[in-house]
Amino acid sequence: MVLPQAQLLQRPSPAMLLKKVCMLGSFAVGKTSLVRRYVGGIFSDTYLTTVGVKIDNKIVQARENEVKVVLWDLAGDDEFQKMRWTYLRGAFGYLLVADGTRAATLAKAEALEQEMRQELGAKPFVLLINKSDRRSEWEMEPAWQEGLVARGWDIFHTSAKTGEGVEKAFSKLTAKMLL
Amino acid sequence: MPMPEEPIFRLPLDPDEEVSSGNGGSFEELRHLILAPEQEDLARLRERVENAEQRTSDLSAVLPEAIHLRRQEGGEEALGEALRPTVEEALRESVRKDPGTLADALFPVMGPAIRRSILQTLRSFFDSFNEAMDHSLSLRGVQWRIEALRTGRSFSEIILLHSLVFRVEQVFLIHKKTGLPLAHAVAPAVAMQDASLVSGMLSAIQDFVRDSFHSAKGEILQKINVGEMEVWVEDGPYAILAAVIRGIPPPDYRLRMAETLEHIHRNFASQMERFQGDTGPFARATEELSRCLEFQYKEKQSSHPRSYALVFAGVVLVLLAGWWSYRAWENHRWGQFVETLRGEPGLVVTDFERQHGRYEIRGLRDPLAADPQTLLSSAGLDQRDAAFHWAPYYAMDDAILEKRASALLRPPSGVNLKVTDGMLRPEGEASTVWAAEVRDRAPLLPGIRGVDLSQLTDTDQAEFNRLQSLVQTAIIRFPLSSATPTPEDLETLRRLTPQIKSLFEKAQLLRKNVEVDIVGHSDSSGEESTNIPLSQSRADRVLYQLTRDGVARVALRSRGVASAEPLRKEENEEARQYNRSVTFRISAVAPLHGSSAGATPATP
Ligand SMILES: Nc1nc2c(ncn2[C@@H]2O[C@H](COP(=O)(O)OP(=O)(O)OP(=O)(O)O)[C@@H](O)[C@H]2O)c(=O)[nH]1
Ligand SMILES: [Mg+2]
Repeated sequence: MVLPQAQLLQRPSPAMLLKKVCMLGSFAVGKTSLVRRYVGGIFSDTYLTTVGVKIDNKIVQARENEVKVVLWDLAGDDEFQKMRWTYLRGAFGYLLVADGTRAATLAKAEALEQEMRQELGAKPFVLLINKSDRRSEWEMEPAWQEGLVARGWDIFHTSAKTGEGVEKAFSKLTAKMLL
Repeated sequence: MPMPEEPIFRLPLDPDEEVSSGNGGSFEELRHLILAPEQEDLARLRERVENAEQRTSDLSAVLPEAIHLRRQEGGEEALGEALRPTVEEALRESVRKDPGTLADALFPVMGPAIRRSILQTLRSFFDSFNEAMDHSLSLRGVQWRIEALRTGRSFSEIILLHSLVFRVEQVFLIHKKTGLPLAHAVAPAVAMQDASLVSGMLSAIQDFVRDSFHSAKGEILQKINVGEMEVWVEDGPYAILAAVIRGIPPPDYRLRMAETLEHIHRNFASQMERFQGDTGPFARATEELSRCLEFQYKEKQSSHPRSYALVFAGVVLVLLAGWWSYRAWENHRWGQFVETLRGEPGLVVTDFERQHGRYEIRGLRDPLAADPQTLLSSAGLDQRDAAFHWAPYYAMDDAILEKRASALLRPPSGVNLKVTDGMLRPEGEASTVWAAEVRDRAPLLPGIRGVDLSQLTDTDQAEFNRLQSLVQTAIIRFPLSSATPTPEDLETLRRLTPQIKSLFEKAQLLRKNVEVDIVGHSDSSGEESTNIPLSQSRADRVLYQLTRDGVARVALRSRGVASAEPLRKEENEEARQYNRSVTFRISAVAPLHGSSAGATPATP
């Protein structure tokens, strides 16, 4: 006896605007922490490196639309874990994350943007310079940031720990994707 | 036949065309001769082609065959597709104009369909009832209850999960490029996950596999095992179809998925290609996905319903047997009670039956018989279960006769009334009066045939006897030559007086005529001539004394016997003293009426 269950069907959520968004950046810059802060409103000091990809989502009210942002939190790029470009396919936008206390991660972010443009074409993105709660330790040259702003980059100083700038950065990206 | 100047094949096909020819007439004729039949055909054909009415009629002749032929050649899909809008429109129009027509046409189909549907619903209800019964009763059922408690799912859900061969719980249509869910269908009572997370992870896994194993293009992971669940994945150009399945589905389910995915691609290819995150256009695909939510239960062994029928029948039988034996026991108890009633003197049970849950007991009851209600209580039966209907009567049982006699005769404390075979026999001591009463009244009692007083001692007679001997042994002594008793014996005489009186009373009760002789004595000394008057004087003195104290004179006689009847031999002074005395003789003369203690025949 094989029966279809159609007549007793549960109604899934109604149609909605979905956007795939990727978190990119070097390891330990705070990608996972930022997602947790943004989606769950929590922060933890313990560092558990992301393996592969972790997916989360959040419903965002943007202008008249409700947008469900599906966040792909990718493993940080380093020599052991090569970035998987396939994960980035179909992303509508991305967040570049750098760690203000590590100059190398800033450079890496800039390089990533270039790679992304080559692989996927121009996509909406924002740059998050993270760990603003430890600004005294920052190794960022202000001139470097000014150069990027001049090229039209949207840059946010964020802290997953305090929540500073996090909401704003995500909102900006959502708005850019809806343009 | 004249030869034509122009080649005959230059023929104007149009009959209206002007033909200028010198030799027009004969040419026309020739032409007519040769071409006339064809020309007529041609004209007829033209008429046919150009006349719409004619064409319609021609087509109508071959249309059915044409459709038939097309179907035979396997082109029914195209035909169906072509006809569908028209047919649909026609149906819509028909319903709009008059729904009755279509309803009437469908009626023979709808009826059975509805009936079958109802039957199916009922059957599945009983199936699930049986299933629940089965599982509730078994050890497995207990385990599943614990599982239900542990997991927080409902018991029926646990049963469902364990009885399933397979169930497709969710189906995702996932956009391949973005990993976003285009559509999602969930089976009833399945915890719905966030489609975007599942879709994202599923496509990430696919990406990972593709990347890591450098698999050839288009190859993907077709099956993923997650605990007791399986995820089956079907790959398409723009989307993948993923089914989350509990249990093991039949292999042809894969085919079903492939067909569904193909169909979705046919309908939504361009939308999927241009997908920018808006799932709106794919709402229609959800319907198609939900048709993939198949499930199958374990076939039940046919013995199950029968075994429940047996268990049920068994329970009914046990209950019936229990009820029956209770009734039998109760009937037995009541039967015994009625036997007790029957054995009870003064009660006659004429009818005993159970009616409307009560025992109706009818019969006769002597007013003196035992109270049936009391008997009922002492038998431990419920008074409310019985209804007595008694008619009064006089019982002739000896026991009742005894009671009846007692009630009327009120025997004194020392008397026991016995009735045997209607003969009343009082035992013990009673007064003559009571005995006389018994003699007189007992024969009037219904059921008493006679009275036997032989066992009854008459207390009045006994008293009479006692008094008699008392009086007769009394000696009133006198001093020498004196007619006045010694002071001591004067006192004796005084004490004797009331006894003599009661002696007379008793005698009267006993209907005896009693006389008391007062005998005067003297000793042998002295002259007889003086002794006789002396003894007489002594007797008279006592008589005088007695009458003075109230004893009836008529029953007393005095006489002096001098020393003729000495009381003692005069051997000494003391003996002589006894001979100077007065003694009493009591004689019962003939009774007033004939009477004696003995059986007296009674007249009933
Ligand atoms: N003080 C401070 N620490 C942060 C902040 N964001 C992240 N961290 C810490 O940085 C460490 C790494 O954070 P993650 O969020 O795991 O970094 P990630 O980019 O996801 O790392 P990978 O997954 O390995 O690429 C953790 O110990 C966090 O607690 C921040 O804003 N301020
Ligand atoms: Mg991480």
